[in-house]
Amino acid sequence: MRRGEALEVLAALKGDGISVGTMRAIADWYELGAAPELNLDNRGCMGAASALGLGIALAQPQRRVIVIDGDGSLMMQLGSLTSIAGSGAANFYHFVVVNGVYETSGFQPIPAAGLADFAAMARGAGYQQAYEFSDIAILRERLPGIFNQPGPAMIALKVELDEVRKEVPADRPKDQAGYLRSQLVGS
Amino acid sequence: MTSETGTKRIVESIPAAVLHGAISALGVSHVLIVPDTHQKTLLASLTQDANLQMLTFSTEDEAICVNAGMWIGGAESVVIIQNVGLFAAMNALRGVAIDMKVPTLLIVGQFGRDVSKTVEENAPTGVRLIEPVLDAMGVPHYRLDFSEDVGVLRTAYDRSRAERGPVVVLIGAPTS
Repeated sequence: MRRGEALEVLAALKGDGISVGTMRAIADWYELGAAPELNLDNRGCMGAASALGLGIALAQPQRRVIVIDGDGSLMMQLGSLTSIAGSGAANFYHFVVVNGVYETSGFQPIPAAGLADFAAMARGAGYQQAYEFSDIAILRERLPGIFNQPGPAMIALKVELDEVRKEVPADRPKDQAGYLRSQLVGS
Repeated sequence: MTSETGTKRIVESIPAAVLHGAISALGVSHVLIVPDTHQKTLLASLTQDANLQMLTFSTEDEAICVNAGMWIGGAESVVIIQNVGLFAAMNALRGVAIDMKVPTLLIVGQFGRDVSKTVEENAPTGVRLIEPVLDAMGVPHYRLDFSEDVGVLRTAYDRSRAERGPVVVLIGAPTS
């Protein structure tokens, strides 16, 4: 399964949900047309996507919040798993792209690459749902049902290494936080 | 500040009720914490307040990021942590609160402070270096050393909203 095709399945189900992307997945997300509306890019603080998404989920409980994390990124704030589980945010859906490397900095392997099980970590932290997918057909079949069940949910996406480097569009909103806030609350 | 005996007061222990009242008056719905020994009486008091939701986080980074997400989503919150935790959260302070332009009020206990000495005279680096570091980052900060100055919490909160960025209030002595 490739990251782009996995995110394509997710993008088709975004609807009026809010997305928070991070690092290399951001470019795919824009290419799929799932951003920039109702979206926040986390580029300046690696590891922060899950906690940013949790805050939005708590403030907007009527909307689905989709966090698109990376394995190396999540490990920088791994404690957020327990914070998310403890919050009981039923609208929180945590996707982690698992490719086993720090892609941006040159494909160095993450600690415990191939050993770490992110779905198991989330389950152990107390998430309501936790899955791992490596087959695009199964992901496509199962994801709608996962969204119909309350979170917090972890969906680990085991993907192949992708060496095609896509660029994030330069015409994104300059003040993304302010822009998303204006979309959600009007000021 | 001078006491009735004529000696200069350096700092006093502020009652939790004084701080609690000032935080309630801000109109926030959530208080985001990583527990701070220095402010434990305040945290105990806030926990009893049915009008405030207290959320505890694993790290100060998370608390700053959740505050950002809540503001984006239309909810107002404050962050209560300790000085060493703020050192641990410098990347979130920079990359989220500053760069994303997020109103962020941080109430920070000067944990480990020798209250018989000024901040500058304190040996612990966690106490002595926090203000120079905030200055280097361009983060406004205020000292809250006496009960009569509790209004600085409102000043700092309003400034964080007006300037869309982080503002720190340093609690000088352990709360009582």
